[in-house]
Amino acid sequence: MGIFRQLISDIAKLLSKYGSAYLHGIGNTLILALSATLIGCLIGFICGILQTIPYQKNDPVLKRFFLKLVRVIIRIYVEVFRGTPMVLQAVFIYYGLPYFTNSAIRFTNVWVSALLVVSINTGAYMAESVRGGIISIDPGQTEGAMAIGMTHFQTMLHVILPQALRNIMPQIGNNYIINVKDTSVMFIISFTEFFAVHRAAVGATYLYFPSATIEMVGYLCMTLLASFLLRWLEKKMDGKSSYELINEDQLVMTAGTYSYPDRKTPFDERPSELPAEGGRR
Amino acid sequence: MSEKILEIRHLQKSFGSNLVLKDIDFTVSKGDVTAIIGASGSGKSTLLRCINLLETPSGGEILYHGKNILASGTNQPEYRSHVGMVFQSFNLFNNMTVLENCMIGQVKVLKKKKDEAEKNALKYLERVGMAPYVNARPRQISGGQKQRVAIARALSMEPEVLLFDEPTSALDPEMVGEVLDVMQALARDGMTMLVVTHEMGFARDVSSRVVFMSQGVIREEGTPEEVLGDPQEQETIDFLARFRNT
Repeated sequence: MGIFRQLISDIAKLLSKYGSAYLHGIGNTLILALSATLIGCLIGFICGILQTIPYQKNDPVLKRFFLKLVRVIIRIYVEVFRGTPMVLQAVFIYYGLPYFTNSAIRFTNVWVSALLVVSINTGAYMAESVRGGIISIDPGQTEGAMAIGMTHFQTMLHVILPQALRNIMPQIGNNYIINVKDTSVMFIISFTEFFAVHRAAVGATYLYFPSATIEMVGYLCMTLLASFLLRWLEKKMDGKSSYELINEDQLVMTAGTYSYPDRKTPFDERPSELPAEGGRR
Repeated sequence: MSEKILEIRHLQKSFGSNLVLKDIDFTVSKGDVTAIIGASGSGKSTLLRCINLLETPSGGEILYHGKNILASGTNQPEYRSHVGMVFQSFNLFNNMTVLENCMIGQVKVLKKKKDEAEKNALKYLERVGMAPYVNARPRQISGGQKQRVAIARALSMEPEVLLFDEPTSALDPEMVGEVLDVMQALARDGMTMLVVTHEMGFARDVSSRVVFMSQGVIREEGTPEEVLGDPQEQETIDFLARFRNT
């Protein structure tokens, strides 16, 4: 028991001295992870749309060539940034660019470089997720949209992507949580996020495990909060599980208003008061 | 003879080396209700999908008001907005409510104002008896209801021709009637329709013309009395006999 009492008093000591630094680190980590995930999603969506533009044998040669070129470029981007460690990407972008270009190109702001590295990295993962999300949507949805005269772009924007987005929400959540933790490698370019605070605090006080415990709890709190918010967002995106009939005849109204438990996948949790098959009709 | 809307000339379609449509010729005039019948794999659905350019024909011409829409430089989405299509699998947009399904095309393709589109959508939803369900999502309604919404969605674009690709084949038997009733009412109101169907009753009672297809060609064509009542070709006789037995 003595060791735990010691740990708690050390943690208290650390927090009283560096509490605001830890908080500042958490703030930086959250801002970086959130904005990089959002930008990464945007990159992913753009790549996903570009990759899935259909072309046919009888399209003009130039169009076919261009679309193929776009696919190849995206492929290379995905493979390179997914296949190398983010810490090295950061080194190459922050220190490597000035080194190779004789200081012609350099990022002086660590925020900009960190955001750039994490966003590009997330984008590479998201490009594949979005592509998967798009091909998971029933081709009938595309045909339905085309049959009423929508263009490829309109079909994507109004019909396919909203559904694909819902399907890849868990993946976006994954990426965000990975980013919360993996932004810790940005210490290499002296970005002061949560983990960098730990290194500084330990360097000054030699209280390694007390600080590491703070870090563990801190990261877990951040990711749990994210999981909770994502679940809530997914529920919100599914819309209401029941609907109201619009009818002048009030008698018909009650007869037809069913409450359906959410028809998502059969693997989703259901409200416990309903039997498993309760809502199927 | 009333105005010709669609003229199909020497239409061909092959998937790889498999020739599915061989030299199809026929005409759709205003007010026609044409039933296309035939065995599975005879090319009926492919013909319909070619007419709406969901499949690219390998040869021949499709004239829409005399203009070949297979010529390069045709605005395909614009053409499709005049030719409605109802699918076997409904293909309602799952991310939208019933009302939004019927509005999106009007707003995005026809560039109508939202309130105007809503009024129009409600008119057609009422016509197919789905007006009370405007707030429902496709996953919440039955197959027959989905198909009626799909018909309302196609109608709300105010197309000149409506194509039906086996609209009742994916439905439970008790729901077939509600969809056929809607289609019959449309036919009575003078809608030009092209219906691929296995419902011989519909072909006999509602259509003004019956086309029998087999192995990628049109074998027989005429009024329902001619084709169904007094078929000339042995293949047609065999096909119809199979239906009487079941």
